[in-house]
Amino acid sequence: MIKAVAKSLEEIKSMITPYRRVLTIGCGGCVSQCLAGGQKEARALNIKLRASAASDSDALFDDITVERQCEQQFLKELDNRISTYDALISIACGAGVQFLAERFPNLPVFPGVNTQFVGITRDIGWYEERCKTCGDCVLGLTAGICPVTMCSKGLFNGPCGGPQDGHCEVDPDTPCAWIAIYERLQAQGRLDSIAEIHPTRNWQNQVPGRILVEEYRARYVENGEKT
Amino acid sequence: MDCNHAEPLNVTAMRETLQQNKKRMSLNLKACAGCSLCAESCFLFELHNHDPQYMPSYKVLHSLGKLYSKRGHITRTQLHDMAGLVWRNCVLCGRCYCPFGIDIPAMIALTRRIMREQNIAGVYPYSLGAPEEETND
Amino acid sequence: MKSESRLETILRCGHFALTGELGPPRGADPDAVRKKAAHLKGMVDAVNITDNQTAVVRMSSLGACLIAKQEGLEPIYQMVCRDRNRIAMQSDILGAAALGINNLLCLSGDHQKFGDHPGCKKVFDIDSIQLVSMMKTMRDEARFQGGEEITVPPKMFIGAAANPFAEPHAFRVQRLAKKVAAGADFIQTQCVYNMERFRAWLDQARDMGLTENVHILPGITPLKSLGMARYMKNNVPGMDVPDELIKRMQGVEKKDQAREGIAICCEQIQQMQEMKGLAGIHLMAIEWEHRVPEIVTQAGLLPRPEPEQG
Repeated sequence: MIKAVAKSLEEIKSMITPYRRVLTIGCGGCVSQCLAGGQKEARALNIKLRASAASDSDALFDDITVERQCEQQFLKELDNRISTYDALISIACGAGVQFLAERFPNLPVFPGVNTQFVGITRDIGWYEERCKTCGDCVLGLTAGICPVTMCSKGLFNGPCGGPQDGHCEVDPDTPCAWIAIYERLQAQGRLDSIAEIHPTRNWQNQVPGRILVEEYRARYVENGEKT
Repeated sequence: MDCNHAEPLNVTAMRETLQQNKKRMSLNLKACAGCSLCAESCFLFELHNHDPQYMPSYKVLHSLGKLYSKRGHITRTQLHDMAGLVWRNCVLCGRCYCPFGIDIPAMIALTRRIMREQNIAGVYPYSLGAPEEETND
Repeated sequence: MKSESRLETILRCGHFALTGELGPPRGADPDAVRKKAAHLKGMVDAVNITDNQTAVVRMSSLGACLIAKQEGLEPIYQMVCRDRNRIAMQSDILGAAALGINNLLCLSGDHQKFGDHPGCKKVFDIDSIQLVSMMKTMRDEARFQGGEEITVPPKMFIGAAANPFAEPHAFRVQRLAKKVAAGADFIQTQCVYNMERFRAWLDQARDMGLTENVHILPGITPLKSLGMARYMKNNVPGMDVPDELIKRMQGVEKKDQAREGIAICCEQIQQMQEMKGLAGIHLMAIEWEHRVPEIVTQAGLLPRPEPEQG
């Protein structure tokens, strides 16, 4: 899932300095799971913001959490409550913040977390990046280890000359992805995957993406685009 | 969030939310014929060896359905015990299918909203070793 | 001949080639390049002009190559994959060829975290092997990477790097084979101190037939001092400095350490000359360019050949 990390309180406060009626909106999706932007975090952030504005009797700081901010059906719940506020803080991932801002374009919307990556949960509170959403997956060739994400240089014909004790030259705690790929392919008897030169790729993630599932295409597209 | 069972529910707020959505939801709740087609479309039902507590119809009838039938006369503990039905037993993937057009995800989402409003937060399988354990009870 | 490279001519004639290295300055002063070039002129057959080494901004390799060429050196244009995408690379290659630069060394490049702009965006649009392939296509098929025709193709002699000591050890010779298959004409290695391990790598390469298809020039870096020997041993990733070398450096007085380092260097050069399958050596006297004439003389490598071009 998407993993994010809460922004510092100082940074958030500096963003909303001109505003006195702020709604913090949490998200029950990915950011809840990685403990960055769920109901608990929304409540905790709001308590701190409210405390900072304690001297201001006109200030209004509230929090609410919706199921997911990346779907309009769940953002609908906010329609009747929004008019009370002059700014929103969304602690959803970047996608959620933007969808919220799209639904309420006349209200300033501020991000309360830094969206970090698509990754896995190693254990509670421990998350690791795994995918850079390059749009052209080659995991089958590299024994399930992503060269784009896990190799610091994104090499397709690695490793480079830098690994030290099985680790990337950049960080002694980062394993060299290509050593790991080599060892796993060797164990599976599939070294031929990397014997040939992997050709130059056409990067697929260089413009804002869009997906229209085939079965639903007719719903949105007539002669021109309707979406 | 830990459940402070002594904390009273905000019954007024709950009733108001239930009332606001009554028209839509009562139709949803009454129309269920128990055909169990929704169960076949739920991957969690499949994954849990067809445990009836994972049937979408069961989930909503025993959570939102109860909230409506009791008209909000419910204790925090009872409400808290329902949390598992709409959080652990459902990921709101939205794939459940009903031939009568009952909007099951909407019911689950509404139940979650009511619970949040009452300070009951989501139950997520945090611990890797035992996905069935509820660490947030 | 694939190019008009003087280095290619020397290698083809079967001479034991000698390449050197020149790091451009951290400023816009052409004299800084000229000073270093002066030490190397006539001492080596071609000179690597490094490309923002260790991700630290320096005068561009292309610019410094031109200055070096004007000073009478044969430059090897070094290009890393960290800073440029394929458009910029092909463009720079055309520019280099137009300016009479005939050698290209294709490298991955040190990660930007090591340098003076660690927050910059990395490129790595293509990797070093794909760069070798791309250069070969430009030269031999007169086509850009995207497929379109090149009016006047750049004729570069293509080089790549190899590290016999990096992990995974079992894969290193196969990776060398990939570079040769991609089109590398010559290979320079990381500096070698452990001759036994290097010999083992070379034997493997020879067994795979690689020494017949590519010119291999192992790297040699003279030790300036005991401190440097220790630093190389303990702080440089992938560097294998045998204990005997440390002992030798320890065994002489401080003022004699440089001389001992040069003596070791000359011995290594001699051992390399006796190994079957090597085409020359790559002498990296980093920030010690002024001692190159002494080293090259002592190793008996002068005069450098002056073969007929073309």
